[in-house]
Amino acid sequence: MPSALRAENLHFAYTRVPVLENVSFDVQRGDYVGIIGPNGGGKTTLLKLLLGLEKGRGKIFLFDTPLEQFRAWHKIGYLAQKSPVSQSRFPISAQEVVLMGLAQRGSGVSVGELKQVHEAMQKTHTRQYAGTIFHDLSIGQQQRVLLARALVSNPEILILDEPSTALDAQSREMFFDLLGELNKQQGVTILLITHDTGEVGKHISKFMYIDKTVIFFGTKQEFCHSAAVAKQLGPFAQHTIDHLHNHHGHCPLGEDCQECAHGGNHA
Amino acid sequence: MLEFLSYGFVQRGLMAGTLVAVSCALLGVFLVLKRLSLIGDGMSHVCLTGVALALLTATSPVYVSIPIVMAASAGIMKLTQKFKIYGDAAIGIVSAAGLAIGLLLTALAGGFNTDLLGYLFGSILTVSTSEAVLCGILLLVVLVGLKLFYRCLVSACFDEPFAHTRGIPVHTVQLGLVMITSVAVVLAFKVVGIFLISALLIIPPVSALLISRTFKQVLGWAACFGATSVWAGIYFSFIFDIPSGATVILVNLIILLGCYGWSKLHAC
Repeated sequence: MPSALRAENLHFAYTRVPVLENVSFDVQRGDYVGIIGPNGGGKTTLLKLLLGLEKGRGKIFLFDTPLEQFRAWHKIGYLAQKSPVSQSRFPISAQEVVLMGLAQRGSGVSVGELKQVHEAMQKTHTRQYAGTIFHDLSIGQQQRVLLARALVSNPEILILDEPSTALDAQSREMFFDLLGELNKQQGVTILLITHDTGEVGKHISKFMYIDKTVIFFGTKQEFCHSAAVAKQLGPFAQHTIDHLHNHHGHCPLGEDCQECAHGGNHA
Repeated sequence: MLEFLSYGFVQRGLMAGTLVAVSCALLGVFLVLKRLSLIGDGMSHVCLTGVALALLTATSPVYVSIPIVMAASAGIMKLTQKFKIYGDAAIGIVSAAGLAIGLLLTALAGGFNTDLLGYLFGSILTVSTSEAVLCGILLLVVLVGLKLFYRCLVSACFDEPFAHTRGIPVHTVQLGLVMITSVAVVLAFKVVGIFLISALLIIPPVSALLISRTFKQVLGWAACFGATSVWAGIYFSFIFDIPSGATVILVNLIILLGCYGWSKLHAC
């Protein structure tokens, strides 16, 4: 599979305190990567480096193009952890926010652009908020509008930083189902920082465990049997993150799970 | 009652004041929303350096101040972006430096005189024809910039990291905004005086934000309030023989109170 996003020997420090050291990985097109790790492990910083929002040492390639030369930003969708205007009343409607996901030229809006905006809002069930001032929406509604903004350019890579923290249970399920659909049906590559491992586990294809460096990067099945992950998390947490196995729940891996196929419960 | 309009100096003052007030109001909308509104205050203090240097060298305060204020503004942006110093702290540093150098130069020029006091408190009725033309060019640049980069500017103000991921050169956009604001600030010191310049950048946009629902409405109302305050300010200052700069700002404050009242009424 061709590479969607590649990092080589990334290093980053905030005023001499190392945050990331020697980080290398290759995310292939169509991968759905769940990025997990402890608080302060450098997950958000890693995403910022990949998007050029922070500058560190090392090399980053987007679709095999060095980050410094990359210009096809419409191929990238980004959703940050925090809403951008939590404290001020920015006079802008939800529709205008979604429009920001498209090329920002001139002052007018074309019919084609409006159609794209409405389609993206339809996908995230936010069409009814189109004319509402963004600031007047609840945090969860704002997050769904921002997801529409990330999707409006039909990106080939989606980079999401803990996007589900403000969502209620129903919205969260809809959110992860939509991401799963985009990945499976349209082949969108997804990198997702999340602590919501139970819900997302149904859809992701790979895990990346970050704690200042890449402790683990591989498939879900490899994750469950990784000695490196077991050393970091302990076997119980390792098992819980991947499978949420217990006698009362279901296995998010479904038919992929070799343990379940053999009648095991990872206990 | 309107016979004061027949005076040439009043016409020039009104025209230059209106042009610069509208420019300041439009630029101020972006500065206020980007939380850079106090940059105008910093720039105005740096103006003192330019004015003092011009008085010392017997040159035009406007033309001497423009490059100095632009350089100071670039310094503020550099401090915040490269050295990660908080914006308000960077403004404070440059502002203090501008004021200190200005006072030193003033002392070298023989202390405060009537010319300098005119710049400190505004003397809109002494605007020259070339300065009025410069105000017109400034507004033209602001309007063309808005037409060409409106979506880019709104996006960069609303969510800087996301704008960066759309390929918008956010730092360049901000630098451009601040550079044009530098020119506006220098041209505005004749209208309201060095001490009150930042009010022209802040009060009309804040008033407009209280009563508007869309970004374009904010720009429209801010421009209207800026222009109205200059016309009403000059009228009252002429009628009551009071300082024009201070009157312009007081009219702005009355508009702000009115907008606040209107927003409260409509919130009920």
